[in-house]
Amino acid sequence: MTLGGLWRRLRFTIGRRRFDADLDDEMRLHLELRAERLRRAGVAGVEADRATRRQFGSVTLALERSRDAGTFASLGTLRQDVRYALRTLRTTPGFTLGAVLVLMLGIGANTMMFSLVNATMLRPLPLPDPDRLMTVWTTRVEDPSVFGITSLPNYRDWQARNHVFEDIALFDSAGRGYNLTSHGEPEQVPGVRVTATFFPVLGVQPMLGRTFLAEEEEPGRDRVVVLSYGLWVRRYAADAAIVGRTIRVDGEPYTVVGVMPPDFFFQFWSLPRQLWVPAGWTRGDRERNSNSFLSIARLKRGATVADARSEMDVIGRALAAEHPTTNAGLTVRVMPIAEYVRQSVRMPLFALLGVVGFVLLIACVNVANLMLARGATRGREFAVRRALGAGRRRLVAQLLMESVVLGSMGGACGLVLALLSSRLLGAMLPGDAMLVPMRSLDAIGVDTTVLLFTLGVSVMSGVLFGLAPALSACRQDVSHPMKLDARSLSGGRGRLRFGLLACEVALTLVVLAGAGVMIVSVARLLGVEPGLDPHNVLVMQMSLPQENLYYGPPAHPRFCANLDDRVGAVPGVVSVSAIAHLPLSGAGAGRAVTIEGRPDPGLKRQAGAAYSVVCPNVLRTFGIALLAGREFTERDTLEAPGVVLVNEALAKRSWPNEGAVGKRLKLGPFNSPEPWLTVVGVFRNARLNALDVDVRPTVFRPYNQAAWPTMSIVTKTATAPAAFAPMVKRALADIEPNQPVSGVRTMEEVVDHSVGGRRLSMQILTGFAVLALVLAVVGIAGVVAYSVAQRTSEIGIRIALGAQAVDVMRLVLGESISWSLLGVGAGVVASLGLLRFLRGMLYAVSPTDPTVLVAVSVLLVVVSVAASYVPARRAIQVDPVSALRRDDS
Amino acid sequence: MTKSADREDIPPGTLEILILTTLGRADELHGFEIAEAIRERSGDVLYVEEGSLYPALQRLLVKGWIADTWDRTPENRRARYYRLTALGRKHLERELQRYQRVSRAIALVLLAV
Repeated sequence: MTLGGLWRRLRFTIGRRRFDADLDDEMRLHLELRAERLRRAGVAGVEADRATRRQFGSVTLALERSRDAGTFASLGTLRQDVRYALRTLRTTPGFTLGAVLVLMLGIGANTMMFSLVNATMLRPLPLPDPDRLMTVWTTRVEDPSVFGITSLPNYRDWQARNHVFEDIALFDSAGRGYNLTSHGEPEQVPGVRVTATFFPVLGVQPMLGRTFLAEEEEPGRDRVVVLSYGLWVRRYAADAAIVGRTIRVDGEPYTVVGVMPPDFFFQFWSLPRQLWVPAGWTRGDRERNSNSFLSIARLKRGATVADARSEMDVIGRALAAEHPTTNAGLTVRVMPIAEYVRQSVRMPLFALLGVVGFVLLIACVNVANLMLARGATRGREFAVRRALGAGRRRLVAQLLMESVVLGSMGGACGLVLALLSSRLLGAMLPGDAMLVPMRSLDAIGVDTTVLLFTLGVSVMSGVLFGLAPALSACRQDVSHPMKLDARSLSGGRGRLRFGLLACEVALTLVVLAGAGVMIVSVARLLGVEPGLDPHNVLVMQMSLPQENLYYGPPAHPRFCANLDDRVGAVPGVVSVSAIAHLPLSGAGAGRAVTIEGRPDPGLKRQAGAAYSVVCPNVLRTFGIALLAGREFTERDTLEAPGVVLVNEALAKRSWPNEGAVGKRLKLGPFNSPEPWLTVVGVFRNARLNALDVDVRPTVFRPYNQAAWPTMSIVTKTATAPAAFAPMVKRALADIEPNQPVSGVRTMEEVVDHSVGGRRLSMQILTGFAVLALVLAVVGIAGVVAYSVAQRTSEIGIRIALGAQAVDVMRLVLGESISWSLLGVGAGVVASLGLLRFLRGMLYAVSPTDPTVLVAVSVLLVVVSVAASYVPARRAIQVDPVSALRRDDS
Repeated sequence: MTKSADREDIPPGTLEILILTTLGRADELHGFEIAEAIRERSGDVLYVEEGSLYPALQRLLVKGWIADTWDRTPENRRARYYRLTALGRKHLERELQRYQRVSRAIALVLLAV
């Protein structure tokens, strides 16, 4: 059909009602004119009318045929089928309600999970031309899976030598809290320092003012700031005149040069940033080994990712050759930002989406069972219609339409359910589980993609649960059901129903086993001995800005001492300390380690260690056992010899057969000019990074020798720590009046939070499992009840012939149990195959843990016996006389 | 209206070409006029039943060979008028040529008997 023909046909189909009226008018005119002609020809008026009227039958036919000629015949019947389906569904409200409810749960859960996947992975990033945005990383030639941060000198060389990028931008990998002290209460706001190329590379324009100039990257010119829209509205009352004014940032006067638009959202490795300042390169930043920056770049139009990869690899290797002390073994890796975002989602969303798909399958099986039962009672209807000439294909199509309508109704309700629950889900999400670069947490919701998904899933499940019942309803012989009651011909269909029951059990088993291993995993994770005591510990963050960001010397040399003096003096405080990287919060830093007196291992085999900066008493406050030596004290100052604390792992690795205390190491490669530092103490291994990450060799340095710009203050209290927050904050306000605190939590909350992503996955999965189990119970009970109802007369005969209650029970239960067992077997096999997709989200448990599989299998068998028992009881109460009479009537 | 011996049903497939030809001679006709025109021109031999006329018109509309407008008859009754489109005229010419070729061939065969 040509395009024009298609269009005309479509027009007729759409304007159907008008078209019918037109045709009616046309026919009437035709008849009138013909009657007139006959009259003129001399036929008497009455006779003329009658002759005309005799034609009427053919007019109706003409109308129908004209209509078919002008429209899509199938579209017309489609509409008819939908109307018929709705009418039929209305006649059995109980069935319809049940089916819609089941589908609502299944489709709703799928929509919810999909909207999460969509928001975090599928939706294009809210930046112009996101396909051209690349992340650029330092990586190892030997292990290109490493995502390493980089330094200013490397960045400058990349910038100067590449031909594939429009430009490259750099921003601080950590970012930090900036203290705002003017225009209201002091407040700490997350910000990050960036290069002048940052906003142009992202492709965003400020809403007000401008972004940074290249010369503002240099110290002295860098006292300018760009605000986020949210911060501007909240703290500066959306005052457009703020641009050009001076505000106090970390006590210094900064000029506001721009405000970003409301839809600009920036987070990467940390919470969303609310302000941006120019890089303001420090002396430390200018070192080639001072890797503390993340890098993004925008591809030139026409350049491909492959171009960028190969050119940057060449540049990286060239730099490695030119700067062997710092870059040996390193090269550059380019990855599209969208790809990086996808691979950094911490929740195994696709695995969860798969599981929720299983729940939907279970729901479909349930509805299919309901439809089978209903199809049996409609046997006569179909037989009559087939006898009257309805084609089989036509009947199947119509039954399918019924189930698609049902599916769509379920889908619509499911969509509403998903809309309501996605808000709940958003609130439940732990911050870091969903800390996806450049993705806003608030963006979970329903958009066109989600709508299309839901529509597709609804229609597909309609076909899925409708096909078997529809085919089975039309397979039967035309003549039989007209003579017999539908109950009498149950054999083949009964097997189909029990087959569906087995499927349902199998699917449920997979979901239950998945949830089971997740629960075991989270339980084991929470059971991990962290090596520190989070009980009665209060934590809060404070920024301590300093010139040389990550390498000291301290701008606040009295900080630790003041802590001890003022916070330590609060009644009920047992001890107080501070640490740069709060344990189990995901924060961390690393340094190369060289042991005194050992040969040069070469850069490729350079040993490293986790690194942090602490105040005195940190071990005591965290309850980490000191195994040898001493903690830091106030006497470990810049003037005193450099000292470190090391953990057991580092001590054992470096000095396997001797005491570590008194030995020396330096934090840098063999040839680096770093000073030698003496080990003064060894502490017990503690899981400082995360509960599921093995203990790494770790080095602590004293704050007064190597300060860090953000410190977490930890306070061990005698009683419930939360109550101490106001007093501790007041004491801190005395010490550092310009440095507000943020992130006040108890250490137990931090530990809890650190398993948030896994726990959430576990909770979601458990929710799905419960749903699956409920659906399975309903389904099994339904199948058995229906089978009992169908076999009432058979059971009646058996009882009349002397069968005992036990025999009847065995008959009914035996059937459902054997099918359930079949389902359990299939489910176990499927679990062995499918559950390995969960591996990534499990800790210390195999995805096909035998204990879990056995437990779940037993549970399912018990559940299916219980679900069959209630209807089976009804079977033994069958009164043989009435059962037999019923069949006669 | 009983069927008289001198009346013929229109052979299948030719109705469309008859309609097109009829419309090709006139400017605009409504359905009844088309039927009447065919009857008159065929010397009262070919009767077009409305049962086939309107579906045929509908098919021609869909194919784009004719176009329609609602107008008033001289007696001021609402009627749907059909006219040939450029596409329809082209099709008609092609079909007429084909018809002539085929009928000439048939005549040859029949005469040869």
